Amino acid sequence: MSEAVPETEKLDEHLQEVVRALYGAVKRGITDPKAADKAIHDCKEILDVIMEGKVEEWVH
Amino acid sequence: MFTDKIELKDFDKMDPEYKELLGRVLTIQADCEIGGPHLYVEKMLPAAPNKLEQLIVARTAAEEIDHFRKIARVAGDIGVDVSFVLSQPNEKRYVDAFRGVIDTWEDHAVFGFLIDRVGRYQLEEFYDCSYLPLQRILPDIVNEELGHIEHGYNKTKELIESGDEGKAKAQRAVDFWYVRALDMFGRSGSKRAERYRYWGLKRRANEQARQDYLNEVNPILEELGLKIPDPLKGRHFL
Repeated sequence: MSEAVPETEKLDEHLQEVVRALYGAVKRGITDPKAADKAIHDCKEILDVIMEGKVEEWVH
Repeated sequence: MFTDKIELKDFDKMDPEYKELLGRVLTIQADCEIGGPHLYVEKMLPAAPNKLEQLIVARTAAEEIDHFRKIARVAGDIGVDVSFVLSQPNEKRYVDAFRGVIDTWEDHAVFGFLIDRVGRYQLEEFYDCSYLPLQRILPDIVNEELGHIEHGYNKTKELIESGDEGKAKAQRAVDFWYVRALDMFGRSGSKRAERYRYWGLKRRANEQARQDYLNEVNPILEELGLKIPDPLKGRHFL
C-alpha cells in the first residue's frame, strides 16, 4: 500500500481542533451579542496562526 | 474509458498517469480551498460591515479550512503532501483568482457569488469519480459551498438594492471577478482535461463546464440588473 505522508494524521487532528474552536467562537458570538467582540477577537487569533501556515510547529 | 472504482488499497496498482493526475488535482483543490481565506481574512474579518458579518467571515474561513483538511487527508493517504499550500504566498497560488487580496466588501460579496460558484463546479467534477475516498468527502463540502454562494449572492443583491453607488460597486466587482471565474475552468480543448476524463476523475471538458457556468450565471446577473461583462476581455485561457 502507498506510504502516507508522515504527518497526515497529526495535521488532520490539529486542523479539526482549529475548526472546532472557530465554530465554537462563532456560535458564542452569534447567540450572545454581548460576547461578539470577544468571539471575533478569538477567531482573529486562531485564523492569524492558520494564515501563517507554520505546519511544523503545529504537528510537533 | 476507465470505469472502475478505486479504493485507497487499490491505489498502488494504478497506472502512473492516474496517480499523477489524482495527486495533481488534489493539490490544486487543496490550494483553492485554503486560497480563499488567504484572500479575505486579513482585511475582511476586521472590516466587514457589522459584527454578524465579521463572524460569518470567520465561519466561512473555518469551513474552507475544513475543506482543505479533508482534501489534505485524501492526498496524504496516497503519499501526496499538500501542506506546503498552507504557507504559500498568494501570488504563487495555482489559480489566478486567488493571487491577490480582497479588501472591499463588494469584492468579498461577488467573490462568494461568482468564484465560490466555480468552486462548486470544480467539486461537482468529482461526483461519481473513480477515486472513492474523494467522492465520499464531497457532499458536506459542496453543501457548505452552496451556503457561501448564497451568502455572496445575497450580499451582492443588498449592495445593488442600496442605490446607484452600491450598484456601481457591485458592477465593478463583477467586471473584475467574472473573467477570472471563466479562466478558472482552464483551456478549451485541454489534453490534460481529456486524460482526467479518461481516468474517470472528471466528468466534463473544460469548455463544457465553463459553458454550463455561463448558462447558470448570466441569467442571474441579468435578473440582478447588472451588465454581463465581455466574456473574452482580459481572459488568459480561452
